[in-house]
Amino acid sequence: HVYTSAILGTVSYWACWFNTPLSLHLCSDMEAQYSLTRAQRVRAAMFPETLVEGETALTAHSNPDQPTNVQRLAEPSQLLKTAIVHLINYQDDAELATRAVPELTKLLADEDQVVVNKAALIVNQLTRKEASRRVLMQSPQMVSAVVRAMQNTGDLETARCAASVLHSLSHQREGLLAIFKSGGIPALVRMLSSPMESVLFYAITTLHNLLLHQEGAKMAVRLADGLQRMVPLLKKTNPKFLAITTDCLQLLSYGNQESKLIILANGGPESLVFIMRNHNYEKLLWTTSRVLKVLSVCPSNKPAIVDAGGMQALGQHLTGSSQRLTQNCLWTLRNLSDAATKQEGLDGLLQILVSQLGSDDVNMLTCATGILSNLTCNNARNKALVTQSGGVEALIHAVLRAGEKEDVAEPAVCALRHLTSRHPDAELAQNAVRLHYGIPAITKLLGQPHYWPVVKATVGLIRNLALCPANQAPLRESGTIPRLVNLLLKAHQETQRHGSGAQQTYQDGVRMEEIVEGCTGALHILARDPINRGEIASMQTIPLFVQLLYSYVENIKRVSAGVLCELALDKQCAEMIDAEGASAPLMELLHSPNEGIATYAAAVLFRISEDKSSDYRKRVSVELTHSLFKHDPAAWEMVNIFIQESHSTLTDSRRTRKGGIYVQMKVNGDHSSQARFSVNNNLNFSLILTQNFRRLEI
Amino acid sequence: MNREEAPGKSPEEMYIQQKVRVLLMLKKMGSNLTPNEEAFLRNYAGVVHSQMSQLPQHPIDQGAEDVVMAFSRSETEDRRQ
Repeated sequence: HVYTSAILGTVSYWACWFNTPLSLHLCSDMEAQYSLTRAQRVRAAMFPETLVEGETALTAHSNPDQPTNVQRLAEPSQLLKTAIVHLINYQDDAELATRAVPELTKLLADEDQVVVNKAALIVNQLTRKEASRRVLMQSPQMVSAVVRAMQNTGDLETARCAASVLHSLSHQREGLLAIFKSGGIPALVRMLSSPMESVLFYAITTLHNLLLHQEGAKMAVRLADGLQRMVPLLKKTNPKFLAITTDCLQLLSYGNQESKLIILANGGPESLVFIMRNHNYEKLLWTTSRVLKVLSVCPSNKPAIVDAGGMQALGQHLTGSSQRLTQNCLWTLRNLSDAATKQEGLDGLLQILVSQLGSDDVNMLTCATGILSNLTCNNARNKALVTQSGGVEALIHAVLRAGEKEDVAEPAVCALRHLTSRHPDAELAQNAVRLHYGIPAITKLLGQPHYWPVVKATVGLIRNLALCPANQAPLRESGTIPRLVNLLLKAHQETQRHGSGAQQTYQDGVRMEEIVEGCTGALHILARDPINRGEIASMQTIPLFVQLLYSYVENIKRVSAGVLCELALDKQCAEMIDAEGASAPLMELLHSPNEGIATYAAAVLFRISEDKSSDYRKRVSVELTHSLFKHDPAAWEMVNIFIQESHSTLTDSRRTRKGGIYVQMKVNGDHSSQARFSVNNNLNFSLILTQNFRRLEI
Repeated sequence: MNREEAPGKSPEEMYIQQKVRVLLMLKKMGSNLTPNEEAFLRNYAGVVHSQMSQLPQHPIDQGAEDVVMAFSRSETEDRRQ
């Protein structure tokens, strides 16, 4: 109505302009015009040259010798004329479609399939023009009829036409809504099983448009088992078709765990990895990488993608020209990396990642450092490869450029920590850190403000670096020791403030007990250097290390016994350790099932007992012998009970030749009373009491 | 007591054996020994020889183990291009 009244308004304005009344000879023609459509009447009035044959025109009187005002208006007028002609044509199409829709709707439901086919063809033709297309989508009955015809027909050509109609309608919101309300989604999902490629194309594209723009479409597609029908389509070969299909999967699975599991159950990871490996159409690779990225946060999909060769396939696309593809692949690799620590065939990927450490793009750095950190975790081969590929130097530069970006710094330091231990080239890496001026940069990470995950990783790295004797002096000179001691004190105070026992204190997700363990562990190794040893002892650390022997955390006991063992090399320190009452906890630690703890404890006791009496040394020896019984808890329990009940004092204990226990003790503190208690592996025991040299056997 | 189960080592012998074992374990773990301790091992080379085969073969005290970082905790949507 708006455009029609605009046309009529323009016509009356021009009539006034020309001031030319309609002549009588034209009146007879006017009668003929009454049978024409409104659009035809307007066309005849304004632009007779656009009339088709058979239509008559109204003409305005004009003097051929004088140019009309219209002619004088030239181009602007021509533009306006063209626009109005389009509007008139639009009106034509709309009117035609309006008249045809009811009839076509009936024909689409006809029993005769030939009729249905022809009707579908015509409706498909009508969708080619915008005006008639609008009329169609404004008719819910028509859209429903098309949907029903598509899903009920056995004729492939009819199905194709109907699918094409829906596809055309899906380019406007009104059309999408009409399809959605007419139950088009389940019908389209069923079409995904069609043997006809064009039907598949129309169906998937229409569904794609619905998923993109129609609210409620995702749920409807899921309910119609759309995922189960789409995943098998990943085996098709047409890249553009695959691009749309993968985009549909991404839209359906983002944020929806159930959808991800359905994709997994239908072999999605394998098909997606196959696409990444075998196609080179950029858009397809990008859409596929987006699906993999969505699936890579799912704990169930992750191992499936890795097992299907996902790491290698994604690694193929890190050096291309498509920035968006590279970035998506990197994020996906980062997500997958903790499940890929045992994967083989990652040499190429590792080398690319090392080269990407030189990038200034923070996203690329974040991903490269994260992936390298995980792939070097407990994997000696990957550690060696990264070390030999210049990874140490590259990681140091990444740390320097990271600044306060913890998402880069933490994984970079973790990766360096992995490279500097537990593989044949660890010493090479430890030296490389020093040679590439990494020590000052790493020490700086211990400073304030403390981001505890970075601090934790750094103290672990420093501990590994100190394993290399050549690094001891540079570490000392960069001020590592006082920083470690201060961190240790701070963390220990935090653990004390929150009480002892199982209660643990967290900061930035890191337990302060881990900081205590890490700092003490680093100081333990640093103490292997005599000058460092002196510096550590001079900072009044011995009382704290002795206190840490009482920790309920096994690892803290180990590292504190370890550092005391090193400090006890120095006689003065050994005396200080003894003066702090370390003997008692160390005696307990002799019985630790942890060989490292028992060894360090024994070593400290040996070192502090060098100048002690033989009685003391013997007691140490006896206690050490007890630790040999750690595999006979039941037998030793019997011994303990006897000692307790008889108020005896142990004077000797040893293992018998047949694997039992023999202990000798003073009964009730009486030297004249002795008991020899023996228990064998079958827990049969015998006891001999000797009093005043008279023997009583039990 | 079954006399056949009588122990075969004196306290002094036991002490030497224990100390040799502890010192060898320390060396295996990379720790330093005092000059006296090094001399002690030289003096009891025979005990050292017999204890060497009884040392555990696996590495001891290699520090904290490598730990993976879990990055895939949340999805991030990228802008559709």
